Amino acid sequence: MVDIAAELKRPKIDAHCHVRAGREEELSSQRLVEAGEMLGITEYWCSRPITARYGSLEEIRAGNDAVLAAMRRYPQRIRGLCFVVPGYYREACAEIERCLDAGMIGVKLYHQYKINDPAVWPVIELCTQRRVPILVHAGYVTDPRTKAEQPRLSHGADFAEVSQRFPETMFIMAHIGGGGDWEWTLRALRDSSPNVYVDVSGSNLDDGQVEFAVAELGAQRVLFGTDGTMAGCVGKVIGASLTEEQRHLIFWGNAERLLAAQGKQPLAKIESGQEGVAG
Amino acid sequence: MIFDINAWVGSWPFRSLRDSTPQQLTERLRKAGVAGAAVSQIEAILHRNAQPANERLAESVEPYRDVFVPMATINPTYARWEDDLRICHEELGMKGVRLFPEYHGYEIDGPLAKRVVAACRERGLPVQIPHRIEDMRQRHHLDPARGVPLAAIAGLVAAYPDTPIIVTNARGIAQSPLWRRTELRDAAWYADTSLAEVYFQGLDKDLALIVEESGGRHLLFGTHAPFSYPEAALVKRATLPADADTLEEISYRGAMRLGLTPESWAVKAGSA
Repeated sequence: MVDIAAELKRPKIDAHCHVRAGREEELSSQRLVEAGEMLGITEYWCSRPITARYGSLEEIRAGNDAVLAAMRRYPQRIRGLCFVVPGYYREACAEIERCLDAGMIGVKLYHQYKINDPAVWPVIELCTQRRVPILVHAGYVTDPRTKAEQPRLSHGADFAEVSQRFPETMFIMAHIGGGGDWEWTLRALRDSSPNVYVDVSGSNLDDGQVEFAVAELGAQRVLFGTDGTMAGCVGKVIGASLTEEQRHLIFWGNAERLLAAQGKQPLAKIESGQEGVAG
Repeated sequence: MIFDINAWVGSWPFRSLRDSTPQQLTERLRKAGVAGAAVSQIEAILHRNAQPANERLAESVEPYRDVFVPMATINPTYARWEDDLRICHEELGMKGVRLFPEYHGYEIDGPLAKRVVAACRERGLPVQIPHRIEDMRQRHHLDPARGVPLAAIAGLVAAYPDTPIIVTNARGIAQSPLWRRTELRDAAWYADTSLAEVYFQGLDKDLALIVEESGGRHLLFGTHAPFSYPEAALVKRATLPADADTLEEISYRGAMRLGLTPESWAVKAGSA
């Protein structure tokens, strides 16, 4: 029988999470840390994207400043991903440099541009050079309303295409449970480079989605994430039919490897053989 | 003891489901530590005449009477649905009713739904309303995949405050009219643990708020298996801000009080 209490103690790195901006930053960061205590999440990779429009440079910068504030507030729990709109490519690259130099560990893109749009190339080139991952809002949505709301939403085929041009770049196709046909978008990644990862976050708790991702890509390309669906996403990885090694890769090992590419380590330490015990 | 008020058997036409036979579901739930479940037949959601699927359900779960409680799917747009309800309750031993207004084509706060709820009230049967079966964003083009509006369900609850109405597979309960219409706090409505989060993004309280302010009064344990991972609901259960007594209420006592658990459970509880 699944031992839920023991599984909650297993340390986890959440590769897809958010803090809020402005006055809500402090409370949202605090609540993340509290939830992490219950769920065994020892590290959050947080961003503050603009989701419904392009946003001004000032607004983008303010969101990233909120993430930096959260990192300073909880340096042993919260890490940052720098959100940019790639079309302003000079400003976007400057903002990425600023945020990485301040300690962030990656970049977050939303659906302002598809990931395979050449407008994104300067950002991709910079991330490749800095050896940091790019987490991209994604999904293969099929209902007309959502498609109309997010016409430039990237999906598996877009990642496969761009990864052929940038095979060394570490892309993370976000939230296979974030809505959309997860089977379609995972199958479409069959031609992608091995440096394209997915995260399991999102409110969709469809049984089998984690195993399907592992079957299509291998467990070494599947990251744990929540995107706010915290207990649900912990539960889907706990409930997935996986080997102990595969579950460890998803909850911890793959994120650890992404950090190692830029010379960093997880914020919490776990001893070899102690993967089931919170650090 | 954990009882799942929201499970299913059968086939879904738009995605292959694992563990969807009574035997497979029994094993899957037991592996997760869930001892029993209220189930209905998935095919009835899309059939015009739901009754053959109800009859198949009764037959298929009969060997599992200590595990499964069958729930009738009633389509109030269909001729002589009242006969289906009577047969399901009196002859097939079903303990509640599930309604699918977005699939069978009626309003959940309209006259047809109200006739069913009134009939269930007379029979002492709880009414379940699955908010959604699948995420709309991945809908097959033949699947309407619309969520049942929570505001309309709140209207139905207001019309029948003493009849147990269970809203399953919904999220944002604490932000919905079910919770925000404070005059409904004494009504017999329930949500389940299958889709809603305890704390969304760790910040906005959903199930946490409901439990903090009403204990186990409006919440039941449900998984939406085999559509969803049952362990997701178990993690929520494990992280609810609930004391041991409230947790028992949510885990099985509430379902037992509504008559949704197998009859043998009452004996077990009585001897415990």
